[in-house]
Amino acid sequence: MAMGYLDEIKGAIINGKYKEIENMVSQLIKDDVDLKQLINEGMIAAMDVVGEKFANSEIFVPEMLVSAVTMQKGLDLIKPLLRGEETEPKGTIVMCTVKGDVHDIGKNLVDMMLEGAGFKVIDLGVDLSVDQLIERVTEIQPDILGLSALLTTSMPQMKKAIDALDAQGLRKKMKVMVGGAPVDRKFAEAIGADGYGANASEAVKLARTFV
Amino acid sequence: MGSQPDFENIRIAAKHKEGKRVPLCEVLVEYPIQSQFLGRPVTSSDLEAQLEFWIKAGYDFIPLSVGMMNPGKVTEESSISKVIREIMLKDTPDAEDKKSWNLEYTHFIDNRADFENFPWDIAEKLDFSKFYKIKDLLPEKMKVIAVSGKIFTLTWMLMGFNNFAMSLIMDEQLVADVFRKVAEIQFKALEEIFGMSHVGAVWVVDDIAFGTGPMISPQAFRDHVFPWYREMAKRCHDKDLLFLMHSDGNLTALMEDIIDMGVDVLQPIDPTCMNIVEVKKTYGDRLCLVGNVSNELLRSGTQADVEERVKYLIKNVGPGGGYCIGSGNSVPDWAKFENYMAMRESAITYGEYPIRL
Repeated sequence: MAMGYLDEIKGAIINGKYKEIENMVSQLIKDDVDLKQLINEGMIAAMDVVGEKFANSEIFVPEMLVSAVTMQKGLDLIKPLLRGEETEPKGTIVMCTVKGDVHDIGKNLVDMMLEGAGFKVIDLGVDLSVDQLIERVTEIQPDILGLSALLTTSMPQMKKAIDALDAQGLRKKMKVMVGGAPVDRKFAEAIGADGYGANASEAVKLARTFV
Repeated sequence: MGSQPDFENIRIAAKHKEGKRVPLCEVLVEYPIQSQFLGRPVTSSDLEAQLEFWIKAGYDFIPLSVGMMNPGKVTEESSISKVIREIMLKDTPDAEDKKSWNLEYTHFIDNRADFENFPWDIAEKLDFSKFYKIKDLLPEKMKVIAVSGKIFTLTWMLMGFNNFAMSLIMDEQLVADVFRKVAEIQFKALEEIFGMSHVGAVWVVDDIAFGTGPMISPQAFRDHVFPWYREMAKRCHDKDLLFLMHSDGNLTALMEDIIDMGVDVLQPIDPTCMNIVEVKKTYGDRLCLVGNVSNELLRSGTQADVEERVKYLIKNVGPGGGYCIGSGNSVPDWAKFENYMAMRESAITYGEYPIRL
């Protein structure tokens, strides 16, 4: 198969061909293509396009999720064939929605896009107290912490979390990124976060700059 | 307000005409705010106190919920939550943990078997007692707005958002069937409401957009959700009732659909992502607008800030009718009470037609 296979795989993921992807990838494995290139230039590149399309309202959450499922199906076939260092994640990211907030649609999309970009994502869920967060972050020691909030009333919890990281001597050991409908860059700077993502696609770009 | 409630004020606004004043309009004012206003506790079971609030605060209607879900604290008080909780209490030791039954934390329909096994027959038993009780308490010209018909939100909450979204493409028939079942139950509630002469309107409270735009594609809404609303609007109009809709988020991409399916009144024109003056210019001859006083302003602003915002809205959106003053969502218990009062009092002071601002 010529190098056009990368475009074919990209197209299959962008268009959510979840029924066809396994056959396509199986054939490429048989053809002995460069699997690392397939992941980076085919699959991850496809998810970047998906993220852009979502940010531009060309596609919506369902289409984005099905693209992610499509990628995952392909990835599941490839991963067992990779050598150790090739399966290393780009970094570990802990995600959560802060205390007083149970909204998680946005956070879950960010999770999915980060995983698609090759990060290991550990999602601690919603309504997470500062104490719970500190305990888990101490244990996991992530490269990046992502905090989400939908409610204006729960935004102050983000600052409390960052202050607590500081007090525990953990703040300098990880980058902190924040997001959610009421959050903006100015707020992120004011509370001492390292960055802000307006959507899942921006969150991925931001995370890449941190590792 | 100095005048008696008169639902005709809302009807005139809904026809894009100037009545006596720009009406006040909210889908929900939480009980702590109502309590502060009356100076005594108002509770969910005290219908007389609730009615007293809506009359004295200057509204022309009282919103009453019926259906599988209520607005505001959506899931803890709703009948669907009670149904789910009872099931969980029977089967699961940790049923007292709200994360096991509250739809904000969990979901119940992953697949066809879950759909078939869901206790729809129990879920469709709805309580209309408030609607009957209030009939004899209402002032002559005041009406009830029935808050009902939530179809999109309940469907995705029952399925979980990610599962719902993926199934929309990967198992479309299952999603269509859940929509149908939910809609049938909501329509059943409406049929009972339509027989009540003291009900003046139906208000669908169903968030369909994020701040960035529609939660699913406009086409998916056209295929699966809007036909139900179209039918609901038709049945309302056949009974000479108004059809109101609430949705958070940026509805710009859906505005033509919303008008086309028969929505008379749209609330709250989310101030975090929509420009109500532009919406009025573009759609004001076909749609009555409600709200847009930001909840964040009600929480963190000063009374003077709120007054300025209300004056701006009355001046720029009020002329010609087709506008009612209200919050940017609902009035939550975390709004400053004095800011709620400032919104209300500014509307009374500056909202008389013709507008003189």
